[in-house]
Amino acid sequence: MSERGDVPLLSMRQISKRFGAVEALSGVDFEVHAHEVVALVGDNGAGKSTLARMVSGVLQPDSGIVELDGQQVTISSPSVAHELGIATVFQDLALADNLDVTANLFLGHELRENGMLRDGRMEQITREVLGKLASRIPSVRTPLSALSAGQRQSVAIARTLIGNPRLVVLDEPTAALSAVQTAEVLTHIERLRDLGLGVILISHNMSDVRAVSDRIEVLRHGRTNGSFEASHASFEEILAAITGATQVERGLRSAG
Amino acid sequence: MRLGGAASGSQSSLREGNRSLVVEAIQRFGGLTQVELVGATGLSAATVSSIVKELQTAGLVDTRTTIRSGRRAQLVRLASRTGLVAGVLIGHRHLRVALGDVAHEVVAEQVLPLPDEHRVDTSLDRAALLVVELAERAGASLDEVLAIGVGLPAPVEPGTGMITVPGIMRGWDGIHIVHVMSKRLAKPVVVENDANLGALAESRFGAARGFQDSLYVRASYGIGAGIVISGQVHRGFAGTAGEIGHVQVDPQGAICRCGSRGCLDTVVGAGALLAPLRASHGPLALRDVVQMANDGDPGCRQVVADAGAAIGSVVASLAVAVNPQCVAVGGELAETGEVLIGPMRDAIRRRVLLNQIAPLEVMPAELGQRAEVLGAIALALEVAEIPLDAADAAPEPTVADATGRDGG
Repeated sequence: MSERGDVPLLSMRQISKRFGAVEALSGVDFEVHAHEVVALVGDNGAGKSTLARMVSGVLQPDSGIVELDGQQVTISSPSVAHELGIATVFQDLALADNLDVTANLFLGHELRENGMLRDGRMEQITREVLGKLASRIPSVRTPLSALSAGQRQSVAIARTLIGNPRLVVLDEPTAALSAVQTAEVLTHIERLRDLGLGVILISHNMSDVRAVSDRIEVLRHGRTNGSFEASHASFEEILAAITGATQVERGLRSAG
Repeated sequence: MRLGGAASGSQSSLREGNRSLVVEAIQRFGGLTQVELVGATGLSAATVSSIVKELQTAGLVDTRTTIRSGRRAQLVRLASRTGLVAGVLIGHRHLRVALGDVAHEVVAEQVLPLPDEHRVDTSLDRAALLVVELAERAGASLDEVLAIGVGLPAPVEPGTGMITVPGIMRGWDGIHIVHVMSKRLAKPVVVENDANLGALAESRFGAARGFQDSLYVRASYGIGAGIVISGQVHRGFAGTAGEIGHVQVDPQGAICRCGSRGCLDTVVGAGALLAPLRASHGPLALRDVVQMANDGDPGCRQVVADAGAAIGSVVASLAVAVNPQCVAVGGELAETGEVLIGPMRDAIRRRVLLNQIAPLEVMPAELGQRAEVLGAIALALEVAEIPLDAADAAPEPTVADATGRDGG
């Protein structure tokens, strides 16, 4: 969009991270703009989740620079990430089964007035958010345990919209979902992008990734091994970068 | 006094309002249990229960026992006495599946974003899965789905669903789509070009209803048109009638996927629309252009307006040949309204023969993004063996009636 030429929403430069002897990430550069879906793909252990966890404040890089809107920041914890406008949907969703949809959306960020919970207002916002995502959850008072896998994913994604975030991180949102549920989640991702948010999408499913992403970043053994424009890259090119059939120089060049 | 009067008046209107709340909720979510209906409408359990009984007596909904969270529950759904059909639209970047009943009412619908140049096996697989799962969502089983209509953004041979012009959809050539889909779902399948389906739907239920001869122009990732003559969609011998995306507009232009030079699609197809915006706006998706044009971005409006004029001059020639009463314009680009349709109308009016009784009307299609799936549903209904009055194909509870009829 018009913001495109400007400063990226999130910029990570020369990010490295070690876990003991294991070099999880080594000199990775990564950028997300507003109104853009960036997919992180790669084999198991390539460093996708590590990078995503740094964005959401769960892990800190050993070295490297993280900038938000051009300002250098330290995302030292998930609550700092929340304050910076970064919302994350983890692979296990991290939802509370015994609570209803509204309570899950506001978990830890309940609206209060004079110490009292503003239940009515929270339910209203929940309905609005679910409506924005064209979600198919009949009642905001349903306990999470009664929802299907796809509906739970909707709730997890809806939760990211509470507090008007600017950047949403989705870790494997379509894993283990049925076709209709996958369709719903991918539609949600399109909506998030259309709302002007930056989205980081981690997925193994090349079809889903190419369907909704603007850009695809390939990680291999903790290093960037290619950056592709989703509408121009073929399945084969991306798979070649993931498996290492093409090395980083060629991958970067094809990014154009 | 006044208060009492108002209360009695509002009570019946309240009941009326509650009834429509329940019906709307069932329509929106497909099948819902009574407990879910309570949550979705905010009404009390007793009210929902009595309204459901009322609607059931009136024949608007029916109920079925189902399991929710391990417990037995009453599933309430819209009554579909005679079965469902599925409409599937395979687009360049989206797959849209809708289930409709015999009254062409959509009971469940889902859109799936697709990757660029999506693969035939994956996409057909997902389409079949979506049909099955949507049937479940609507509270029906696959047995109740009678037929499937499939739309493709390419000219197709109706009997086999094979694309008749090679190269238009990469990797889809030579695929016997009817065979593949009917093997997956074990139902009759019909395949048709998307613009023809849009034309069918718009001429029956949309902007062109009431007109004997009309054109439907679908301005999307590619450009296509459907021709309706005397109320019937004209397909041509190989289904390529109305493929205006492959009319030559620029003899020095780029080579098109179809192999010719300078086709309309090479000038106003999605690739050609997005390319000139790249330098100024960065990489955009087609729906970004639509959204930004609607938000007043001058660059995007310019691109869409120029496309409208280019499409209009080709449609004008088609209109001279066919002499339709109206041109309905649909597809994603039509969501920009007059930004596209204004210049298109000008271009058409300038070129079409003036000696007509009434000027040719150029108007937005009415059915929006649903036009093509509605057409697919209509087409599927034509091939479906609908067990009307339990005539032949009903294996279920109407056996007695059926044998009675057969005997008589």
